[in-house]
This record gives sequence, structure tokens and C-alpha cells, in this order.
Amino acid sequence: MTDALLRVEDLGVTIGGAPVVDGVSFAMRKGEVLALVGESGCGKSLTALALLRLLPPAARLAGGRVLLDGTDLAALPDRAMRRLRGQALSIIFQEPTASLDPLTTVGSQVMEAWRAHNAGGAAQARRAARDMLDAVGIPDAEKRLDQYPFELSGGMCQRIMIAIALICGPSLLVADEPTTALDVTIQAQILDLMRRLVAERGAGVLIITHDMGVVADIADRVAVMYAGRIVEVAPVTDLFAAPRHPYTAMLLASVPRLDVVPKAVLATIEGSVPAPEAFGSGCRFAGRCPLAVARCTAETPPLNEVAPGRLAACWRSAEASTLLSGAAA
Amino acid sequence: MSTDPVLAVDDVAVHFAARGGLLAPKGPPVRAVDGVTLAIAPGETLGLVGESGCGKSTLSNAVVGLVKPTRGSIKVAGQEVVGADPDALRAIRRNVQMIFQDPALSLNPRMTIGESVGEPLRVRGIASGAALRERVATLLTSVGLRPEHAARYPHQFSGGQRQRVVIARALGLEPALVVCDEPVSALDVSVRAQILNLLVDLQRRMGVAYLFVSHDLAVVRHICDRVAVMYLGRLVEVAPRDTLFGAPKHPYTLALMSAVPEPDPVRQRTRQRIVLQGDLPSPSRVPTGCAFHTRCPRATALCAQERPALTPRDDGALVACHHA
Ligand SMILES: Nc1ncnc2c1ncn2[C@@H]1O[C@H](COP(=O)(O)OP(=O)(O)OP(=O)(O)O)[C@@H](O)[C@H]1O
Ligand SMILES: Nc1ncnc2c1ncn2[C@@H]1O[C@H](COP(=O)(O)OP(=O)(O)OP(=O)(O)O)[C@@H](O)[C@H]1O
Ligand SMILES: [Mg+2]
Ligand SMILES: [Mg+2]
Repeated sequence: MTDALLRVEDLGVTIGGAPVVDGVSFAMRKGEVLALVGESGCGKSLTALALLRLLPPAARLAGGRVLLDGTDLAALPDRAMRRLRGQALSIIFQEPTASLDPLTTVGSQVMEAWRAHNAGGAAQARRAARDMLDAVGIPDAEKRLDQYPFELSGGMCQRIMIAIALICGPSLLVADEPTTALDVTIQAQILDLMRRLVAERGAGVLIITHDMGVVADIADRVAVMYAGRIVEVAPVTDLFAAPRHPYTAMLLASVPRLDVVPKAVLATIEGSVPAPEAFGSGCRFAGRCPLAVARCTAETPPLNEVAPGRLAACWRSAEASTLLSGAAA
Repeated sequence: MSTDPVLAVDDVAVHFAARGGLLAPKGPPVRAVDGVTLAIAPGETLGLVGESGCGKSTLSNAVVGLVKPTRGSIKVAGQEVVGADPDALRAIRRNVQMIFQDPALSLNPRMTIGESVGEPLRVRGIASGAALRERVATLLTSVGLRPEHAARYPHQFSGGQRQRVVIARALGLEPALVVCDEPVSALDVSVRAQILNLLVDLQRRMGVAYLFVSHDLAVVRHICDRVAVMYLGRLVEVAPRDTLFGAPKHPYTLALMSAVPEPDPVRQRTRQRIVLQGDLPSPSRVPTGCAFHTRCPRATALCAQERPALTPRDDGALVACHHA
């Protein structure tokens, strides 16, 4: 990859010894939107927090390399990492109101983000903040600067968070469920905004979501995670058309789609995700997989290239897409 | 079997008095629901969709008697809910049950699953002792759990399993109507499919009707026979599923539909999008005329002045719009 932006190699996170993020590797190009999807608890947020070096106290980094524009983040001193965050690297979390300081005007918060990485006076900071609010589509930016978070709606607060994340022109934006707490009409506005920012500024976006509609809307490529591991990576249209991992296929089949007869039985994935303490040998999806054979529980399938630009970790990858039609039955 | 509606809601409004602080003057009331009329036939599923804060939960709560309407009438299987005394309400509750979004909050953590599911039957003296245990076992089996699960506590179950328990309890009294307020929103996609299958299956077997509240249009399209679209406390469109999804008419319905991303990249990227500007106005300051006119791409002077009534169209849709 010549225009490589981010390269994550063999990233691991443990909690109480359990490998909740296990050998995660992926790469992103400049100007690319990569979606990280998977069921609740599969390790999406911890992956993002690990690469930003913001893991909670209970979690421990168990190795791996994170290369952003060639710099190894894992090897960076704390101070240098702090400087990088908010500058080259920004994050947006799910709960906009929880991430903003309720006692400070939104203007001060946006200006503070700007001043952390720019030399310039108050007037200049205010101008930069106002321009950024304009850019994220907040009407009456000048007036809004002097308001407090509680005076703004959830959608506006999320836009303020995006303004803070973008004001220093990061090359990578990590967005963990950025629209889950928002209404669909506001979600559409925010997704439009992110799309525009990618097009205009060439930033890369790593978006975490469990909404296949959001993935279909905004992602260029998709990485599917199951029980701490990446099981499939593919361009978005290929993934939806012909998944190469049984889990991806079953996940897609369980979403009600236009081409499924109303009230027809939806495909389901029997059983549940194993608890991290109970991860055994082999493929972690084997216990729920209709295609599983003896080899699957004995040997962990590596994340291999199964077609140009497509990776899958499955011994029976070629047959995976047959499970997609489960919903039409 | 009669074809009288299991639910008849007639011009219901629910206004909440605004909180007045020590210093803050008391503001205008919150018009959470403001004149809703709808009916549900036996065995039918009516979807109720709309943005956060439009009044879906308030209307649902009014139907089961948890919230007292400011005006209007709500009849469940012919019995009036509004103003019913506690005894009458108890009788009505036999016919209408509710399932909430968060299964963790709707189960008592100190009661076993068996006690929770059996409670409505025991309290009403419908069953006790061995008969009760047997009935609970049947209910658990019907929602895909095992009889021995009765001895377990809620924390020993996953979210999807807990929602099954809640459904088993709601069905124990064989109600004619179950109000489901975002029943799958808190669940993972794969589990969501299991619960949706279960609701459809139970409807086929028991003929129960659902008022199904959701903000997920794909789920609504899958499970509902008719759909009502709500905006700021009022219905703007009510239509059979295929009519609503095939030929949506109200500009708000169109915007809502185009805002929901389709889980299909090819389709999603070629769709025409209508991105609404601005946020939902506060329900304590509902705009005059058509409440949607402040965000509507088609609004004219008339819309700010005159509230459009829900009027029938040729294909069976009811639409409240001057220009659609
Ligand atoms: N602070 C913590 N302490 C203990 N366990 C944690 C903590 N944070 C996460 N975990 C556990 O680590 C695993 C991965 O969690 P993570 O938050 O990354 O999941 P996720 O994929 O983001 O899920 P969701 O879709 O629900 O946000 C889960 O089993 C979770 O319970
Ligand atoms: N007890 C109450 N007192 C005052 N206002 C209330 C009360 N309950 C609800 N409201 C207000 O009434 C409006 C409608 O709320 P409701 O919960 O019915 O919306 P909803 O459509 O269910 O939204 P969501 O999709 O977020 O669940 C909101 O503005 C809400 O803040
Ligand atoms: Mg998460
Ligand atoms: Mg609600």
C-alpha cells in the first residue's frame, strides 16, 4: 500500500488474562473509510482504545504495533502520544453529552482544542472555532459558541464533538458508534458530514458500528470482528454480495432486508458468543458454525488472502456465502 | 370471532405540565401526544415510527394505563381505559400487556424467572401450585427457553434470553394486544432476529395483536401489517405496509425513509437522499399549522397557518399534508 495511513499489526489486549483482542491486524489508506463491525462485546472499542493508547485500567496491552504515517505509536513516549492525539489522531465517542464538559461553553471547548496545537491569540482561536462550527453545519455558529452543552440538542453536541475532533486537521479519525445515540434524520446529517470531510480533507476514518445500514452507506472497506479476532476484511460491495466467512454471512442474513418476504423467518445464529475466559483452541466461531468440521476446533484458521483485496479466517471460506440465502427460505 | 378492534384510540392527547423552577417561570406544557386517532384489528400488527421525543412511548404508556391522557378515549377490547378505576383497569390489563426496550429493567432481579413469569397468573388466582408450575413451563417452552430455566435469576441470562422471559410473562394471560416499545432495540442483530421470529410465531399461534413501537424501519417493514408515522405528537401518515414503503406520501415519511440507510451498499449508494435540515422542535413549542413546516422542503405559507387533517387517499393511505 503506497498511500498507507495506518497499519495495525498483531494487536492484543487482555483483561484478567483473557485475550479480548487477539492478534488484530489491518491497514488503512489515506482518505479511506474502514468500518469495524461485530456483535456487542467482540472487542471493537478496546481495539480502538488500544491503538489510541487510551485503554481502561482493567485492560492490558498484550503486544502489537500501530504505525500511523510510519510512526510506531506503541513506542512513543506518553507526552508525544498526547500531542499526537487531537492533532494527527482524533476520536469521537458514542455519547456526545458525556464527552463534553457541561460547565464550559462549547466555544471554549472547541477553542481549547485548537490552542492545544496552534500558536495564536484568542481572536484567532475564536475565528477558527467559528469556521469549524460552520463547517460541521451548525447554524448561528457565532451565537452557539457562547452556549453550554445542555442548551444544544444531542445531534448538535455530536457535531461539536466532531468539530473538536477535526479542528486540528487530523489524518485519522476514529469514530466509535458516532451516530448510535442519534435519530436517523440526524444520523444522515452526520454521515453526510463525515463523507464530506473525507472527500475534502483526505482524512482516514475508522468507524465502529453494529449497524449494517451505516456500513453500507459510508464504508469503503469492512473488517468483521468475532470474539476478539478479525475474521474477514473486504471491500464493502464484495462483503455484502458474497461474504467469505460464515459469521459475516449469518450476520447479514439475520438483518431484515428489502428482498425478504415480510414476516418470513429470519436467519438466526444459534448459541452465543463464548465468554473470553472460555475461548478454546481453533476457530472461536466453530461452536455456532453450520459449516464447522473437526479441523475448525483443532486448528485456528489464519486470516489469509482468499481473493484479491479480500481476507478471511476460515477453513471453508469458499462455501461461506451459501449461508447468506438462509433468510430467503 | 368479532372484528371489533382490539384497540381504539380516539383523539388522545397527553400534555405534561412544564416544570417550573424556583427562578424559572413555568413554561408552556409539553404536548407529548396531541390528538391521535388509530385502531388495531385482532391479530394485526401496527407499527408506530418517528424520531426520538415524538411521543411514541407516551402513547404506548397511555394505552396500557400507565399515563393518564389529557383528553380522548382509549378502548381495549371495547373497555374504556381512560378514567377506569383500579378494579376495571386490572380487568383490562388481562387483555393488554407491555414489553419494554430494556429487559434488564423489566424483571425483578430478586425473583426467579419462574416467579416473574408466574406472578400475573398467581396474583389473579388463575393458577397455583403444580398447575402454575406447569403453565410456567409451557410458557417458557413457547418462547424457546427450557422449563428448568424457571429456577434461575435474570442475571444468569443474556439480554436476548431476558427479553424472551419478558415476552413469556406478557403472554401468560393470553392478552388480545401486546404493546411492544422498542422490544429489540437493545439487542444485538443476531439476537434481534430470534426475537422477531418469536413474535411472529406467537402471533400466528395465538392471534395476538401488536402495537409495535420502533425507530428501525427495516424491522417495522418486516413485522408490521400497517404503519403509523408520528411527528411531534401527531400522526402524519397511516398506511398498509406495502403502500407506505412502496408509495410514501407525507414529506416527513419520505425524509425518514431516505434517512434510514439500507443494508445494501449498491442500493444505498444510488438512492436519492433527502437530508432534513435542523432538529426536531421542542414539543412544548409545537410550530403552528403543520408541525413539520419548519423543516419541510415543500412548505408554503398555508402550512404555517392551517393544520392539515389526516385524509384518505385512493390507495388506502391516510395523510396529513396540504401538498401530498
Ligand atoms: N473496563 C472493562 N473492564 C472489564 N472488562 C471490559 C472492560 N471494557 C471491556 N471489557 C470486556 O472486553 C470485551 C470487549 O469489550 P469492547 O468494549 O471492546 O466490546 P465492543 O465490541 O466495543 O462492544 P459494544 O458493541 O457493546 O460496544 C467484552 O467482553 C467486555 O465485557
Ligand atoms: N413524564 C414526563 N414529563 C414531562 N415530559 C415528558 C414526560 N414523559 C415524556 N415527556 C416528553 O414528552 C415527549 C415525548 O416523549 P416520548 O418518551 O413519548 O417520546 P418517544 O417517541 O418514545 O421517544 P424515544 O424514541 O426517544 O423513545 C418528549 O419531549 C419527552 O421529553
Ligand atoms: Mg463498544
Ligand atoms: Mg420511547
